[in-house]
Amino acid sequence: MTETDKMIDMNNLNRGCLRSWPHSQDYCITCGVCSSSCPVSGIDGFDPRKIVRMVSLGMQEEIVSSRWPWICTMCAKCENVCPMEVDIPGLIRKIRSLRDRDKVPGILHKGLDMAIQTGNNLGLPQEDFVFILQDVGEEIAQEPGFEDFVVPVDKIGANILTTIHNKLVNTHTDDLKHWWKIFFAAKEDWTVPSINWEGTNWGLFTGDDEKMRIMAGRVAENMERLQAKNLLWPE
Amino acid sequence: MLFRSITIVKWIMSAKRDQGGIESRMPDKKVLIIGSGVAGLTTAIELAKFDVKVVLIEKEKTVGGYARQFTCKATDDCVKCGACIVEEKIDAAVSHPNITIYSGVCLTDIVKKDGFAISFVDRNHEKQACEVDAVVMATGFQPFDPIDKPFGYKRFDDVITNLDLEKRLRQDGVVKRPSDGSVPKKIAFIQCVGSRDSSLNHLWCSKVCCGSALRMARLIKFREKSMEISVFYIDVQSFGKDFQNNYDLIKDQVRMIRAIPGDVFLTDDRKIKLEYYLPALRKQTEELFDLVVLSVGITPNRNADPIAEKIGLKSTGSEFLDEQSMVSAPGVFAAGTATGPKSITESIADAGRVALDVLNYFQTQHN
Repeated sequence: MTETDKMIDMNNLNRGCLRSWPHSQDYCITCGVCSSSCPVSGIDGFDPRKIVRMVSLGMQEEIVSSRWPWICTMCAKCENVCPMEVDIPGLIRKIRSLRDRDKVPGILHKGLDMAIQTGNNLGLPQEDFVFILQDVGEEIAQEPGFEDFVVPVDKIGANILTTIHNKLVNTHTDDLKHWWKIFFAAKEDWTVPSINWEGTNWGLFTGDDEKMRIMAGRVAENMERLQAKNLLWPE
Repeated sequence: MLFRSITIVKWIMSAKRDQGGIESRMPDKKVLIIGSGVAGLTTAIELAKFDVKVVLIEKEKTVGGYARQFTCKATDDCVKCGACIVEEKIDAAVSHPNITIYSGVCLTDIVKKDGFAISFVDRNHEKQACEVDAVVMATGFQPFDPIDKPFGYKRFDDVITNLDLEKRLRQDGVVKRPSDGSVPKKIAFIQCVGSRDSSLNHLWCSKVCCGSALRMARLIKFREKSMEISVFYIDVQSFGKDFQNNYDLIKDQVRMIRAIPGDVFLTDDRKIKLEYYLPALRKQTEELFDLVVLSVGITPNRNADPIAEKIGLKSTGSEFLDEQSMVSAPGVFAAGTATGPKSITESIADAGRVALDVLNYFQTQHN
């Protein structure tokens, strides 16, 4: 659905059937500041105000089958500006969770499955991952002032353990360099795990609590295994 | 509404006098009224008619409260905004022999005895003391300060409040941009700023802002036909039986947009850019305005809290004074916006009712 084209019989709605949802959706006063503040509203007519309203009106089937909840980036700006403190990102995630998993948009669905199986969204083998990190590290070491730079993979007892967004070892490897150089200049004691390094958690975005838990648990395991003091989890 | 409410007050008073329900003279009674806005002035005048001696104190240097800053919003015809009534009330109160007005006052103490012992410092820094038989809290409201709302108030000169606009229209007749004094071509009103807002614990509707904004919009259009005015609103709250007539007259002259804008920016050429979702086209929209007017809500006057506490008044969950708590505080009354949002005319009607309550209280004491 890009927008409900069919007529809706307002007298025949199962209003209140979603009232148990804990997102304060029934407090909405339809001021529209969510839609006005949203960076993606208007795409395919996407309108957070209407989503809140549809939940309030009990239109579960329509909203779960709609494309709208998947347009949202879950940036939470709407929640920040909402005068009635409606938890719109929570609402969106709840709606997403109600979709059959095989109907979750392809890239998210496949990426998450891959991450569960292999530890990262790309299915990148450990050996290839470490090779890419070291390759980028060697490039940095060629720059003046960074001659001694090495990537501290799986270092025990580091001050900071950092996860890696999969795109940084795929299409955006140069973006690794900026903060690695900052770490170096700041003499930071840091490390990267060689397994389960994935920084994204698409269980969060697809409303899949169990898979979100697994992914988060793996990061915690890395912290314990490498006895790191602080976690830097950029996503 | 206005004339009706005044008529009712007069009718109640005269009927009571005719029936002998209330003594027409109570020269041995004295009342302190705190606050000289339209509610305090009206209560004072109505009580003074019964020979009650009134001490009216005001913390500001001038009397008349917020309403005296408001502009008459008549176009070809009166739109019954009530602004003109305030001056009549000031004249009547100032000239009445039973009313003593102190402005620029700091109330230092108020103690419940048989009546109430009052002490205050007057504008000449001299201590004053008196005893009164009853106290009326006509302590009014605080306009919401929108500085923390993301609409650029105090950051961008050409984002003002509805109260700023009232003052400007009253002083200059035409509306000008504060930044450069030029006459704007496009004005946006943003409604419900600081009202109906759970994150502020302001769940109430301030009741007056829709009427005020639309009447000012109509006045501006009347004086400058080419002005483009947009009103960003949630829903139009139409209090009063005449409101629909006014709304019908104005809504075709302004653009009504049913969404509160999100981000507000200042552009390089010093216009105000609003980003908002335009429901009619289902799209995110950027639009430039020369002036943005925030319709700020009526909030409780927290300065009155220490006084209210001393004389046994409580606040409701909304922090306006609780009328229920007056039941257990004999001789204490509250009028006007101290107990919740009201228009000028509603404040006048409320003040008339409170004056009657005070007289009834004296009567009961007497018997």
